[in-house]
Amino acid sequence: MKEEGRRLKAEGRKTNRMNLSFVLFFLFSVFGLLLISAFSLQPSAFAKIYIDITSPAIRKLPISITSKGAFEAKAMEWVIKNDLEFTGIFSFVDPGVPGAEMTVFIEADTSDGIKVLASINDMIENREVFKKQYLGKNMRSIAHSISNEIYKLVTGNNGVFRTAISYLAHLSSGVKELYVMEWDGNNPLKIVSKGLMTSHSWSNDGGLLFYSSEKDHKWKIYAFDLGEFRERVLFHSTGLNLVGNASARGEVAFSSSRDGNSEIYVVNLDGGNLKKLTKSFGIDVSPVFSPDGSKIAFVSDRGGSPQIYLMDPDGGLVRRVTFEGSYNTSPSWSPDGKWLAFVGMKDGKNQIFMLKSDSTELRQLTFDGNNESPSFSPDGMFLAFDSDRDGSRGIYIMRVNGGEQKKITPKHIRAMSPKWSPYLK
Amino acid sequence: MKKLLITLLMILAIGCEKKYVVAPEEKVAPKEPVKQEAARPEKPEVPKEVVKETIVPKEQKPLEIAMPAKKEAPPAPVAKEEVSAVLRDALFDFDKYNIREDARPVLDAAASQLKKNGQINIIIEGHCDERGTNEYNLALGEKRAKAAKDYLASLSVSPARMTVVTYGEERPLCTEHNETCWQGNRRAHFVVSGK
Repeated sequence: MKEEGRRLKAEGRKTNRMNLSFVLFFLFSVFGLLLISAFSLQPSAFAKIYIDITSPAIRKLPISITSKGAFEAKAMEWVIKNDLEFTGIFSFVDPGVPGAEMTVFIEADTSDGIKVLASINDMIENREVFKKQYLGKNMRSIAHSISNEIYKLVTGNNGVFRTAISYLAHLSSGVKELYVMEWDGNNPLKIVSKGLMTSHSWSNDGGLLFYSSEKDHKWKIYAFDLGEFRERVLFHSTGLNLVGNASARGEVAFSSSRDGNSEIYVVNLDGGNLKKLTKSFGIDVSPVFSPDGSKIAFVSDRGGSPQIYLMDPDGGLVRRVTFEGSYNTSPSWSPDGKWLAFVGMKDGKNQIFMLKSDSTELRQLTFDGNNESPSFSPDGMFLAFDSDRDGSRGIYIMRVNGGEQKKITPKHIRAMSPKWSPYLK
Repeated sequence: MKKLLITLLMILAIGCEKKYVVAPEEKVAPKEPVKQEAARPEKPEVPKEVVKETIVPKEQKPLEIAMPAKKEAPPAPVAKEEVSAVLRDALFDFDKYNIREDARPVLDAAASQLKKNGQINIIIEGHCDERGTNEYNLALGEKRAKAAKDYLASLSVSPARMTVVTYGEERPLCTEHNETCWQGNRRAHFVVSGK
């Protein structure tokens, strides 16, 4: 609620801005929708878990979804089905056919804005387990919210259907533009367009996007405020400066060759308290704080080839994590901090791998074409990555077991380097 | 440019008229060399009048001289272009930034050019092939450019004259997916920047 108030205030401040429509669009489509809960029936006191997603053999929950009212109701039904289907834990039953253990009913009224009534029934116990009214302007974000409710009810976990994925669109001119889209690939919104760009990442609260870009042979690190739709320079120096990610404490890790050689640094969000963490002759890049901030994973060629290493947040206790293969880069932490996804070269092609941070249980997740830039969803169930398997590089998502790999950017767009957002409120 | 050419031709035509004092039909002559140059393949038709033939080369001569004379700009850029034409790419192995044996003569030549032409500076661009990952390749490209710079500095080229920049795999010279192409892209490239 505080968030909402702050946002409204922020909106009020700049009603005369040119980009207001952009901002509003973004807020509605990705962050917020005017959600008014007229009446809400919470699931009964005991939290029943229909499906335990941590169990090795997941059964699918038979579910049916029906909609009534304006055309938007049907459209929302499809958004919800698409959301739920990707999780792999639902099977869809035709509403007329018996067998559904859960039924979802959506009724939409668009006579004044979008008013949606969603209810969920447990068909085994034959009772209503959820009912909520939504008011908003964006049909898709209401639908994603309903998906989140269903997912939470069934698994007890938060769904990622209201999250976003940032990525770089690669224009034929060589320019790269930073975009944010919904997790399912819809509603891409251009954030910045600046010559050469590579690394970028989300702040922990999802309010900032950090990115690096080059101009006049200088690499600067920027922090882009998505609420204000404005950026500021976080760090700049001569040489190559590539942003990693930020810790929960608000330190930003990055690599810089300001002293002549690419080393890992951290700096506070206000640009102060710069600390150099590594000192080696070789390349040190791509630092990423673990979710609890207790470790930094990074890439170094100090052993003769690029490999993934861990160190303490003060630069101490450096240890190597990857030993298989001679080219391992682009580490990404799972939200529970147990796993690292990364890019490894195998038979001359880049593939996505997962490995426990204690170097055990190596798993290869992709096999077709070149696959790069893995990034975990905030619930740890999915990975976004880019692939050129169909001839043109685009953004894909998959389950962490490597299942359901699907492209979510259009074929005619060259897109790369996806970064999955944290949960967005 | 066209206007200039036409004006020049006209001036020449007038000049010719005075010089040769030929018949009025000779006025057509100035246009002919231009036409002939544009459509040279259609030459087989041998001109009937020999007189015209002898006039043609005479008219072309002043033209050729007149054109470059117009461009006659400061002499420095010429040296710049000359130097950049001589500077070749230093090539690297996959995922490596050490100076290869075959890159040494290339860099030695670059060093002697730079020492001969003290007025020019260079930007050294480090490039990579597409196979690595983008971020790591930016760091690798920087290493390559720096390795080239260090080598040149060891041949007493002042470091102040050399700027290092990396493009990683972002600005490939060749976009095919084969080793010939990749090798061409793994390079330190020199751009003459002047003072």
